[in-house]
Amino acid sequence: MHYQAESYGNYYASTVRQSAAVDPLERVVRLASGSAVVIFSLSTCCMCHAVKRLFCGMGVNPTVYELDLVPRGKEIERALMRVLGGGSSVPVVFVGGKLVGAMDRVMASHINGTLVPLLKEAGALWL
Amino acid sequence: MFPSWPMRFHHTPRGSSKSGEESTDSGSAVHALSSRGEGSRLELESPVGRKASSSSDHHQMIDQMHHLQIPQQLEVASASNSPRTGISQPQLARPTSEKRRGAGSNSERMLDAKTLRRLAQNREAAKKSRLRKKAYVQQLESSRIRLSQLEQDLQRARSQGFFMGGGGGAGGNISSGAAIFDMEYARWLEDDHKHMTEIRTALQAHLSDGDLRVILDGYITHYDEIFRLKGVAAKSDVFHLITGMWTTPAERCFLWMGGFRPSELVKMLTAQLDPLTEQQVMGIYNLQRSTEQAEGALSQGLEQLQQSLTDTIASGSVNDSMHHMAVALGKLTNLEGFVRQADNLRQQTLHQLHRVLTVRQAARCFLVIGEYYGRLRALSSLWASRPRETFIGDDILCQATTDLQMVQQSSQNHFSNF
Repeated sequence: MHYQAESYGNYYASTVRQSAAVDPLERVVRLASGSAVVIFSLSTCCMCHAVKRLFCGMGVNPTVYELDLVPRGKEIERALMRVLGGGSSVPVVFVGGKLVGAMDRVMASHINGTLVPLLKEAGALWL
Repeated sequence: MFPSWPMRFHHTPRGSSKSGEESTDSGSAVHALSSRGEGSRLELESPVGRKASSSSDHHQMIDQMHHLQIPQQLEVASASNSPRTGISQPQLARPTSEKRRGAGSNSERMLDAKTLRRLAQNREAAKKSRLRKKAYVQQLESSRIRLSQLEQDLQRARSQGFFMGGGGGAGGNISSGAAIFDMEYARWLEDDHKHMTEIRTALQAHLSDGDLRVILDGYITHYDEIFRLKGVAAKSDVFHLITGMWTTPAERCFLWMGGFRPSELVKMLTAQLDPLTEQQVMGIYNLQRSTEQAEGALSQGLEQLQQSLTDTIASGSVNDSMHHMAVALGKLTNLEGFVRQADNLRQQTLHQLHRVLTVRQAARCFLVIGEYYGRLRALSSLWASRPRETFIGDDILCQATTDLQMVQQSSQNHFSNF
């Protein structure tokens, strides 16, 4: 049940800045544009584990924010839930600062071949 | 016979003046008219004779004569609703005129227009309610048909459940959500067979690409439907899906997260789909890789869930076992999410195949898929009915033979297409 920090590449949970934007969505946007691939996750969520494994399996190094471990992560979680309009808030994936979506959208874009070009464009994948 | 007739027609030219008396007379006249068939005929004769004198009345007369042939149901209907404004014999255009006093001939014509409009609106409203009633009845009819279909399916599913050798599937062990899904799946299989026959005929008849595309789109929609149904079933009974109790034993052998494994399907198809252009080969290869990656990720996620569940169930003392059970229950709900994502993966795989291939290739591809699973199902029945040392019944041999024929038939079709 505990995810080891070192197994997911970059793990900036502890370095999230507490200053500036109060609005959670603004925080999301700021964090999302900070790296090529950003995953908002919960350390206890198994589907989040699946999406992390997907990117690592492709050779991508995603930046993961565990919202239960990040300060004021609950706000972000609630904001994401509103954005997605669904029952669950995580996992949510951003590539190149742009929203890809929840697990179903991520998988759909991988199968229909749009995810890999997006990753290459964002500089997350080299081949 | 018609005592009030001469009086009435005498008053008509001045229609507006004696409206009070007229209404009662007209009232009785209406009923008199509707009860007698010759009413309309007589009406025709009298007004002409009476009103030849005034020209303005002439117009009224013509209006009246046009209105005479309007079915008197309207009269009777309005009469029953509002006897006061009811129709005065053939003067259907005059209900408001009865209320007015001292109006000239010009306003009478305007009143005509107003009442004409109102009558038209009444007709429209009546027509609309007739249409609505018709739609409702049609809806009831189709619901009735669907109900009888469901009952048939239920009976069939029950009888099949005993034969298919499903241990937990037959009898009362099945939940209602699972039972409903089984029925829907059985019907889906029948539709599947119809779709496949349609595609097969279309390919052999060398239909145009446009026509073939329409048929193929229908087949894709058909597949979308089963994924939708599975989504609903996952909410009510995810274990039924994930243990594969809705499928046949041989299919269950290859089960992955409540259904077929997309990468295995693509691998199977690669051999059957020659010739392909280079771009298509790349497309299929990428599809194979991406499905493998996605499957791997989902499997690892599910493993994580199972590990977490094991930890929860194994840990804890006797005192807080209930709490741990509650936590475990919470974790189990995540199972539905995994089955949904797996079905999402399957659906996306089929759609991508449709995109990568040409219409003709895609039609053949989906035919292969359908036949493959048909054979797998036939294998299950053959296995269940295979002769054993203890006894060989005639009925079992019969079933085995028909299953063999089915397999042979489908392999013949397979070779005829490729």
